[in-house]
Amino acid sequence: MEALFFNASTGFLEGIVRGYKTGILTQSQYTNLTQCETLEDFRMQLSSTDYGNFLANEPLPLSTSTIADKATQVLVDQFNYLRSNAVEPLSKFLEYMTYGYMIDNVVLLITGTLHERDTHELLERCHPLGVFDTMPALCVATNVEELYRSVLVETPLAPYFRDCISASDLDDLNIEIIRNTVYKAYLEDFYAFCSSVGGPTSQVMHSILSFEADRRTINITINSLNTDLAKEQRAKLFPAIGRLYPAGNNALAKADDVDTVRQVCEYVPEYRSFLDASSNTQNGDSYGGDGSAAAALEDKFFAEEVRLNKNAFLQQFQYGVFYSYVKLKEQEIRSITWIAECIAQNAKDRIHDYIPIF
Amino acid sequence: MSGSGARESPFPTRMALTNTKIRLKGAQTGHSLLAKKRDALTTRFRAILRKVDEAKRKMGRVMQLASFSLAEVTYATGDISYLVQEQAKNATLKVKARQDNVSGVVLPVFEVDRTTGSDFNLTGLGRGGQQVLKSKEVYAKAAETLVELASLQTAFMILDEVIRVTNRRVNAIEHVIIPKLENTVKYILSELDEMDREEFFRLKKVQGKKKRDAEAAAALLAGKATTEEAPVETVAEDDEGEGGGDLLSSRDEDVIF
Amino acid sequence: MASAYRNRNLLAVIGDEDSVTGLLLAGIGQINEHQKKNFLIVDSKTQVSSIESAFQEFTERSDIAILLINQHVAEKIRPTVDRYQQTFPALLEIPSKDHPYDPSKDSILKRVQKLYGD
Repeated sequence: MEALFFNASTGFLEGIVRGYKTGILTQSQYTNLTQCETLEDFRMQLSSTDYGNFLANEPLPLSTSTIADKATQVLVDQFNYLRSNAVEPLSKFLEYMTYGYMIDNVVLLITGTLHERDTHELLERCHPLGVFDTMPALCVATNVEELYRSVLVETPLAPYFRDCISASDLDDLNIEIIRNTVYKAYLEDFYAFCSSVGGPTSQVMHSILSFEADRRTINITINSLNTDLAKEQRAKLFPAIGRLYPAGNNALAKADDVDTVRQVCEYVPEYRSFLDASSNTQNGDSYGGDGSAAAALEDKFFAEEVRLNKNAFLQQFQYGVFYSYVKLKEQEIRSITWIAECIAQNAKDRIHDYIPIF
Repeated sequence: MSGSGARESPFPTRMALTNTKIRLKGAQTGHSLLAKKRDALTTRFRAILRKVDEAKRKMGRVMQLASFSLAEVTYATGDISYLVQEQAKNATLKVKARQDNVSGVVLPVFEVDRTTGSDFNLTGLGRGGQQVLKSKEVYAKAAETLVELASLQTAFMILDEVIRVTNRRVNAIEHVIIPKLENTVKYILSELDEMDREEFFRLKKVQGKKKRDAEAAAALLAGKATTEEAPVETVAEDDEGEGGGDLLSSRDEDVIF
Repeated sequence: MASAYRNRNLLAVIGDEDSVTGLLLAGIGQINEHQKKNFLIVDSKTQVSSIESAFQEFTERSDIAILLINQHVAEKIRPTVDRYQQTFPALLEIPSKDHPYDPSKDSILKRVQKLYGD
């Protein structure tokens, strides 16, 4: 049924996004980029892609962070265009997408306020996708109490904050715990929203969001091993969605070592390989192997994310494409930055560690 | 001669000579000791120099590795620099100074003193935490290299300074103090020689006079012995006075005849 | 002399964001009771005078054993760095991400090279 009316409201934007999608760098373009000797060449190569002259006005020497910033700006412009042309419920969907970035920004501002810094200079550091109109208002707050109240009043994130933490928590809770608590609430809410949209959207988005939730769960577990994060607290950070939920989450909450995590991953066929390969490298040396194994895990997560997001484009008449496009583009920016970084730092042996999309 | 170089001007006595000689001896011993110290320091210095050079180059590589690991963090987690800056409160990586002794020169050696803090343990909890951890380790290693280099460099600076001072001393002793003392010794010796010669001459003179007198007396005695009495008398008369002798002898002849 | 470095146990750093972040991750960061940091982040907007004053401050503090400074930052205040002769805190020029290490610019290494040349 939705397919019948979908094009009336969203067909144009879907077309746009699918057009944008073809602008995503291809394998051969990546190959060209990896062969650059300097960032100058790199810029030359990029200018022949969809990025065009986005670096044309940058003074030399180029820095990798400038490249990342400008590339993000390109994405943000595209996103804002989509957003301004969207109607309900797509506009709501797009708004949900920005919440994730908003959480990061708000957490950044909280950090600044906690340490009594001038939060205005922090605005520049905020992720442009997570900027909301009333964000500057948060800078007015000078203490945490005030900030908490203004977060509740001024930001769309209010419900997440209200349900998860109180003003007194902001003081002594670790900022990372706040971030993850809020993010968990956000993921669950987004999940619920996608269910309410129904149809193929919920199908596609559920698989992506489930993966995102599982990824967070696994990551939090691994990263909190051997730290002073209590297990009950850890369990509270796990999103209550995803394919590992609930049995896997329960097991992970009690996990003491990577082996337990690996066992949990066995439940889901797609996740089985994540920690498998790492077990091979881990046998040799205790610490160094562990680090590289974890790095490989992160790479596999990224690869899986890319795979799922690419799949989203296989279905029509659903909103998943918007989400997937932004995520793919983000991955592309990461890859570009990575390659640029490798060129700048002359580390050619790692230059192929990027995740190609097409 | 003693006038050719700087010298002290003590009163030239044997005592002063002994003293000066003792001082010269001391200066020579000091010189050889300092020269040995300098050689020891220079050997160490050269070694450190080479190490500094190596370590500086090594640092280039280590830091590159470290910043690359940070790039990995950025890849996985995004920009964490602000969080990290704000979370810094107490240093968990400090240095401890230890002393090292090279030929009497105290060199500080810095050692990394790392307490395991939980400062950034949860950074990147949601994602990239492993990269953060790895980067943390890589940077801690890099910091160790830097600290090592810093102690080398400090040792280099201190040794450089000490060697310069020692060199100055060695050179001062070699080119100023020793020649001066030697000159003084020479001067005293020459003065003493001079005095010796004067004394010798005086003695010679006295001796000459004594000898002459002795010869005269001997000749008188001998004359008396050969002419039984007359030479003795003449000698005796000679002793008493010459003019008188002549009168007496003429008188005696007059008296006898 | 012995006490001159006994109490020095901190590292300080003046550098670009990446270098400082990395070293802070390693755990060198210290903010004392007067909210004085032992690190300074230099970006393209940082005034030379504020680098100078941070340099002065760090070299005069009695709890800093080693001062790390990015070479390209040191380049901006080269005369001050060249004039710096104190043994403590030990001054160390470190490379940064965008500026690989150039031994020929290092004040210390210049002296090393000179001594080697003898």
